Amino acid sequence: MERQLYGYQCPKCGHINYPYRMRCRKCKETEYKDFTLVALPGKGRLLTFTTVYNLPSDYLVATLGLGIVELSNGVRVMGQLRIPKPKTGMEVEGRIEVVRRTEYEAHYGMVFYTA
Amino acid sequence: MREVYAIGLGITSFTRLEYPVAEIAAYAGMMALRDAGIREVDHLYVANMGACRLNHQSGLASAVVDSLSLTPAGAETIENGPASGASALKQGFMAVASGLHDVVMVIGAERMREVNNLEATDFVATLTHPLSEHIYGVTLPAMAGLFTRLYMEKYGVTERHLAMVAVKNHAHAMDNFFAHLHEPITLAGILDSPEALTNNPYIADPLRFYDACPVSDGGACIILASQEVARKQGKPLVRLAGVGQATDTHAVHEREEPTDLLAVRRAAEQAFRMAGVTPQDVHVAELHDAFTILEIVESEEVGFFPKGQGHLALERGETRLGGRLPINPSGGLKAKGHPVGATGVGQAHEIVLQLRGEAGNRQVKDARVGFTCNFGGFGNNVVCLTFVRED
Amino acid sequence: MAVDLERILRPVDTPMPSFPPKFMTLAGGEEMVIRQVEREEIPDILPHVEKLVHVERDFYDIVAARVYAELLGYHCHRVQDEYVLVAQIDGELAAVVNGRRMNADQGMSYHTLSLRRGLRVGAHAFAAKMEYHMDILGQKEVFIVAESPIGFRRWMIEYKLEKRFEVAHELGGCPSWSLTRGLFEAARHDLVVGRRPVPEHLLAKAKAAILKPSDPPRPPEDLLAATRSQNDPTGTALMLHAWALEGRK
Repeated sequence: MERQLYGYQCPKCGHINYPYRMRCRKCKETEYKDFTLVALPGKGRLLTFTTVYNLPSDYLVATLGLGIVELSNGVRVMGQLRIPKPKTGMEVEGRIEVVRRTEYEAHYGMVFYTA
Repeated sequence: MREVYAIGLGITSFTRLEYPVAEIAAYAGMMALRDAGIREVDHLYVANMGACRLNHQSGLASAVVDSLSLTPAGAETIENGPASGASALKQGFMAVASGLHDVVMVIGAERMREVNNLEATDFVATLTHPLSEHIYGVTLPAMAGLFTRLYMEKYGVTERHLAMVAVKNHAHAMDNFFAHLHEPITLAGILDSPEALTNNPYIADPLRFYDACPVSDGGACIILASQEVARKQGKPLVRLAGVGQATDTHAVHEREEPTDLLAVRRAAEQAFRMAGVTPQDVHVAELHDAFTILEIVESEEVGFFPKGQGHLALERGETRLGGRLPINPSGGLKAKGHPVGATGVGQAHEIVLQLRGEAGNRQVKDARVGFTCNFGGFGNNVVCLTFVRED
Repeated sequence: MAVDLERILRPVDTPMPSFPPKFMTLAGGEEMVIRQVEREEIPDILPHVEKLVHVERDFYDIVAARVYAELLGYHCHRVQDEYVLVAQIDGELAAVVNGRRMNADQGMSYHTLSLRRGLRVGAHAFAAKMEYHMDILGQKEVFIVAESPIGFRRWMIEYKLEKRFEVAHELGGCPSWSLTRGLFEAARHDLVVGRRPVPEHLLAKAKAAILKPSDPPRPPEDLLAATRSQNDPTGTALMLHAWALEGRK
């Protein structure tokens, strides 16, 4: 099954809201049931990144790369990075993969690789 | 609106406390009652973030009001993440200013070390956005790391500047009996020596171990009262003259300008305007330095220094005790400690102490206008307070 | 005869190169010396370790009890090929680490006991121990286990230790983890810190005597909640006392 991250576009002002919210952040007029689903692209530019060493208890790895990416349609997302030597401004490509496993479920989100 | 004064102060050591959280809160309250010379209050606010999750204690304020034998006074617990303390002070301010109550006790308390460090990190990470941040395993240090990298690239802040904030605040805390860390550190030890990487490893690069505050337990209390009560008391008149609060997007990646802390800017503007003072009038400030980068950024956003130049003022020594505008004379969150719910009240406690002239070796000379900034979440809910000495 | 019995009971130690002492600057600017100690100095260390047996938190009690036993075992010639390193700050005991040479290629890490609050001392001491096995003894791997979750996170996860669960560790037979030469080389620039040789005056101070630690972990004041209110480690009672001395109300 192909998994997809969605943005919520306001039909009135065109702003793409991500993550989900109850009212459009820009014009505050459109409500949640009137948003149009917009599949978020995978390609984008890495705005900032960090390597985390002290991780939450669900993660039994030594380090985790995290970053904020500006996707090609202007929407900014957070994601995990599987990039050995990240640089701000570099082109990256995201895929939907498992990003967190709790006792009961696997959570899916964006994982970015070098484009 | 009536004028509101701080008439009583109480604080516990910020450290590892092996007491129930309600007792930690009550201790601070008791000290404040003694300091104010009173035995009853009209209402109690307790600021706390984690009692339900970490300490299995819900309805904390109800437990504390009884522990202090202040019943039947009303009591509420206020939760606003790490800004709970200042939020509770804001509620207390509104209660007295509106005329609803004459004497209100505001306690901030937290017992984070009942659980181990991993659980404490998980707990603080619950502040993040559940769908677009939390699932990625982000922690607050990780947020700060992302932010710091942007700030370094845009304004030229370096690891040395961050280390200077830590060294300064640790030095300040040596004169603060209640501070968590009495640990003088040096730039050589944490940055320059060949062993600095082991002494001061990266936790979320570019942030390092000594750039993040410790996990602490503690409580602080301020009793607020009307002018009539304050005048009768005969202590120095310190007025809570301005409160300001602002919010911003929950998800950090949705902020307008990633290097701006707009909520800080707006909350500070409100607090200054209400008090009728400007940032240039402030003599002493307690800014929320959960991460050393935040002290630098907040000092710019509240208006002490132009945007992007806070680290230069730090270099010039302006923000240490003895400088033009001492910031965090108590040691700040970095060295004094950060029991999340108590911090806002702890900051105000220090400012009132300074304005009263009772801060001992860390007294800022002739301090008459003081300011605190309590940062909730990662900049999405900020409360600022301005205090003024009247007599 | 006692001498013959002792000859049977006492294991024959393999000659092992000694650890060249080194020193490092800590976060507060003070200098710490890490050096190897011989059997004669063990009685000087034991009383400081004994106090920690009574600190019932953070696994101090079990680690201190085991270290005490291991140090005594070393002192009384009842453990084969054991080594003990100490870390000292201004002569004061800051950490004790120990382990054993199993054979030419494999080492068995015992414990890391930190007597000075501030975790980094433990990190330096653990790293020195690994350096001893790898660089000084020239071994290929060291088997490690951890009593506490903090230890687990610091060593197993941070250094990405290999699982060698088929090897029963000498500490309670638990499944072992291994620091291999490959992992050690990869982490070398992080692990092998500190400088040599140690300046004369520092080494002389460290060798002169092992002094009592000034701020070791302590047992909590009172374990019983009901009576605890009589003591007051919150600090506020001390503040009132200090105020009284200053003449404040």
